[in-house]
Amino acid sequence: MKITVDTDLCEVHGDCVVAAPDIFDIGEDDDVVQILNAEPGEEYRAAIVQATKMCPVAAIKIEG
Amino acid sequence: MTTTTAPELRIFDYDTYAEGDPATFGLPLEQYRYLRDEEPCFQQEFDDPMLIDKAWVVSRNEDIWEVDRNTELYAADRGYVNIWQVVPIDPKNGGMPAMLTTDGERHRAQRQVLAKGFTPGFVRKLEGKFRQYAKDVVDDALDKGTFNFVHTIAHNMPMEALGDVLGVPPEDRVKFFGWVDKFAAPFDTRITASFDEVMEAIGNLMVYSEELAELKRREPGDDVMTRLVASGEGGEPLMSPEEIMGNVALLASGAAESTRTAMSHGMHELMRNEKAMAWMREHQDNLPPTVIQEMVRIASPFTHLVRTATRDHELHGKQIKEGDIVAMLFAAGNFDERAFDRPEEFQPDRIENPHVSFGRGPHKCLGQHVAALEMKILFEELFQRTSSIEPAGPISYVRDAYSRGVYELPVTVTPR
Ligand code: HEM
Ligand code: SF4
Repeated sequence: MKITVDTDLCEVHGDCVVAAPDIFDIGEDDDVVQILNAEPGEEYRAAIVQATKMCPVAAIKIEG
Repeated sequence: MTTTTAPELRIFDYDTYAEGDPATFGLPLEQYRYLRDEEPCFQQEFDDPMLIDKAWVVSRNEDIWEVDRNTELYAADRGYVNIWQVVPIDPKNGGMPAMLTTDGERHRAQRQVLAKGFTPGFVRKLEGKFRQYAKDVVDDALDKGTFNFVHTIAHNMPMEALGDVLGVPPEDRVKFFGWVDKFAAPFDTRITASFDEVMEAIGNLMVYSEELAELKRREPGDDVMTRLVASGEGGEPLMSPEEIMGNVALLASGAAESTRTAMSHGMHELMRNEKAMAWMREHQDNLPPTVIQEMVRIASPFTHLVRTATRDHELHGKQIKEGDIVAMLFAAGNFDERAFDRPEEFQPDRIENPHVSFGRGPHKCLGQHVAALEMKILFEELFQRTSSIEPAGPISYVRDAYSRGVYELPVTVTPR
């Protein structure tokens, strides 16, 4: 599974950080979300699907 | 057919909420069900000079997600915020532009200026300060023993916490949030005696916001107001003077009253629901986020917001025309059995909770993480320091169909 975020869309709502804190983070000076682990294992799938659904601007994509 | 028939619908009538049934969270759940099942795109007409003329009302959870997210078809920048004619952040009707009444690039730009003061990471840093406020508020409550929860706890905690986040000096907080209370409840004469008071409060807030902007330019701090008045790399201000005023009004009105409302409805439900109360006691050392989101769901602090259709289209068989107003009835979407397991139950451990109390699209509440943290800390402190929290009289609600304030919630606490 590979994760990408469309940084033109991301508005740092932070919903993905709440849904999948091991995968997404927003540091103090970040203008867009940071992906901590772009190719995580299957055990994270549920959390990441949730993050994708929750993102208010549909910026997150999952491949595979 | 269902139990409610169309002519009895009073979903935008302030007395419906003022006289709400405490057993259904003060909400007209039967009317909402009728709408979702029978009239998912309902034409509501109004006959009141203070209100808009008409709106299409969407009430299903899924439709609210769609309207809120599809800003290309449902615009926020073409006038009106809710069913009221006058809102201080509506630039099309005499107000100032703010994030919530702007779309596209300019919305993104404004959000970018402020977002860093609201991310989950930034908010976590506020925890220590919030704990101190919670402690002070609970000290005061324990001293009193019996008190109005809305005032003693739910008013004072957000006032101090938000004062910090926004950067309102402590000595100005009472007057600052006092103005907001007036224009947040324009139809409840116990709070706002006349509409002149509403206009006066808006005027005072606007004047004050300019003074505050001046103060922050002189003495910047690590707060939202300082971000609002900051300049970009070229030395140009990031926000126009109108946007500064509009966003101060938005932050002030979006923040304190809503959080107070969520806390109060949450507290009320816990006192009527033994199972939930016991669950809170079990988890009082570290409240899971599920219970906070569940309180925000059943509270539905803002019943609705509106958008404007940008072109003709059809929805559930109804012909919506360009320029028509579409209302997202959040409170109905929060009880949709298409989206929730047993929505009429308060479930503190609810995992699947697609509630729309904070919205779901690009305008999704900027303060959601601040509000959640305030509530978590406040309830932890209150529960840890009491052995019982009991009702000391009936709940009563603010007379309003937009913001679902609690007017009085008498409570008795016993210290541990
Ligand atoms: C339980 C408490 C709260 C509730 C229920 C709430 C609810 C909402 C809702 C429904 C929206 C509009 C969402 C949409 O149109 O999709 C919103 C937007 C907003 N809220 Fe909140 N809010 C709360 C607390 C706060 C706090 C504490 C702050 C600030 C510290 C805040 C600041 C804002 C701002 C600035 C916006 C506009 C965002 C934009 O247009 O991009 N809110 N809120
Ligand atoms: S939820 Fe979406 S907009 Fe928010 S930080 Fe994550 S990717 Fe960005």
